Amino acid sequence: MSAPIIDVRNIEKYFYTPEELKALNRVSCTVDPGEVVVIIGPSGSGKSTFLRCLNRLEYADAGEIIIDGVNILDPKCNINAIRAEVGMVFQSFNLFPHKTVLENLTMAQMTVRGRSKKEAEDKAMVLLKKVGIADKFAAKPDQLSGGQQQRVAIARSLAMNPKIMLFDEPTSALDPEMVGEVLDVMKTLAREGMTMVVVTHEMGFAREVADRVLFMDKGEILEQGPPSHFFTNPVHERTKEFLSQIL
Amino acid sequence: MSSYTGLDGPKSKHYYRIWGATFLFGLCLAMGLLYYATIQVEYTWRWNRVPQYFFYENTVEIRTNIEGEISNIQKTSGQATVTIQGNGEEESHIIPVQNLLLGQGDYVYPGDTLGTYKHWKIGILIEGLLLTLEVSCLAIIFGILIGLFTGLARIADNPILRWSAIVYIEIIRGSPLLVQIFLWYFVVGTVINTMLAQYGLSQVPPLWFGVMALAIFTGAYTAEIVRAGIQSVHRGQMEAARSLGMNYAQAMRKVILPQALRRILPPLAGQFISLVKDSSLLGVISIRELTKATREVVTSSLQPFEIWIVCAILYLLLTFTLSMFVQYLERKAI
Repeated sequence: MSAPIIDVRNIEKYFYTPEELKALNRVSCTVDPGEVVVIIGPSGSGKSTFLRCLNRLEYADAGEIIIDGVNILDPKCNINAIRAEVGMVFQSFNLFPHKTVLENLTMAQMTVRGRSKKEAEDKAMVLLKKVGIADKFAAKPDQLSGGQQQRVAIARSLAMNPKIMLFDEPTSALDPEMVGEVLDVMKTLAREGMTMVVVTHEMGFAREVADRVLFMDKGEILEQGPPSHFFTNPVHERTKEFLSQIL
Repeated sequence: MSSYTGLDGPKSKHYYRIWGATFLFGLCLAMGLLYYATIQVEYTWRWNRVPQYFFYENTVEIRTNIEGEISNIQKTSGQATVTIQGNGEEESHIIPVQNLLLGQGDYVYPGDTLGTYKHWKIGILIEGLLLTLEVSCLAIIFGILIGLFTGLARIADNPILRWSAIVYIEIIRGSPLLVQIFLWYFVVGTVINTMLAQYGLSQVPPLWFGVMALAIFTGAYTAEIVRAGIQSVHRGQMEAARSLGMNYAQAMRKVILPQALRRILPPLAGQFISLVKDSSLLGVISIRELTKATREVVTSSLQPFEIWIVCAILYLLLTFTLSMFVQYLERKAI
């Protein structure tokens, strides 16, 4: 058994809005290389916050987060180098609207990885072909549909050759008929052995692709296990209640 | 009328005709009343006196420098080359043939007029306009640089950057521009020029104190515009850029600022139009920009109505051009 690529130990996160809110309460979890972990839970359960802590978009207030052997909560760590290895896909795509699709994919490759323009564009075209929108390389993001934008966003993260991919509700802002095309890309990635942590409400995806499902509520991981077990024999009362609401 | 986008239902064709005509009528009425009023106070309009303050024909007298005899006049195609042979020295001048006053063999003393020629020169109003243009351009360039830097400092984490920016912005926005111009000229200017004089260096002309006063004044407002522009870019853009591994400076330069600058062009245009107009205050520190030039012309011509109207039109010309230029940039940026 190889060492976990993500090792989270007892992290806590508080929000002050302005009254104190404990978003994460001593959460611990590990993810092995090549594992696909799906996090589900009701809104406000802290699942997005947990995901955003993994590449320090939110700075956890206590605990340790060790990504590929580096504690990212250590102020002296080079967070930019870590983030280059951890791709992130957002609910709202967050493509750069002033750049073309191709430039969206090449920008970080050139500035962070120091690749030449030619190299970066070749890599970008390969990935655009992979996600099925190579013909739109010259378009601006707002000329694309939601599903196409999200696939560009996935390709943009993949262009950095990340070791881990984080997905923050990648299909929640999409029209129902576009959800499938994005999930297909994610399934392909999972099959290829990418380490993925996915926050989603797509139970079908979780059941089909996940190696492990985490259920979070009120800032804590209440239950986890392989999908076969998780969806058929939940142990915790809250899990049962949640599953009965959505299934 | 399917292209109608208002919320109150389409208007009839007559609606636009009637109100358009009313607008034109109102405009003519205002001008007519103004003219009538000037007749009542017995003002004599003399628009023909205005052009000389734009361009005028200057007569230059050509005088001798040495004592001697005109030894030779060589005429070629309207120009005459006059050679004066003095005691062991010689000089020659070129004069238009028809303006030649002396002939061959005449004896001249230093300072005698050999002849005259005429040439066109730009008038005081154009000089003032050009100076206003120069001061405004310099102040806009410095203003953008100061504003960009201060705007970024204003939202920085570092307390010295942020507090310095806040103190600068509050002080500059909280005091009148005229007072600031006096401070730059009479306090900063005196100190700097006195020190330069002590070290035997040449003085800084008032123009630069004027430019600095305007640039620093505009920079404070520009900084707030830049800050608002940066903060108007969705948070997710910064998160996306940083999650790809870019550092703060790279994300700011490549992702945030290009989007922010596009949005702040309209308020920036307003700010720079203000700056062009505010440059009219610089007359108080003896910079002869357009307004000061106009005041001098009014004093000598005694035609205040025409000259001040012309002055206003010249400012309009500058600000309108600037406004068009920024609109062009805006269209290009989209």
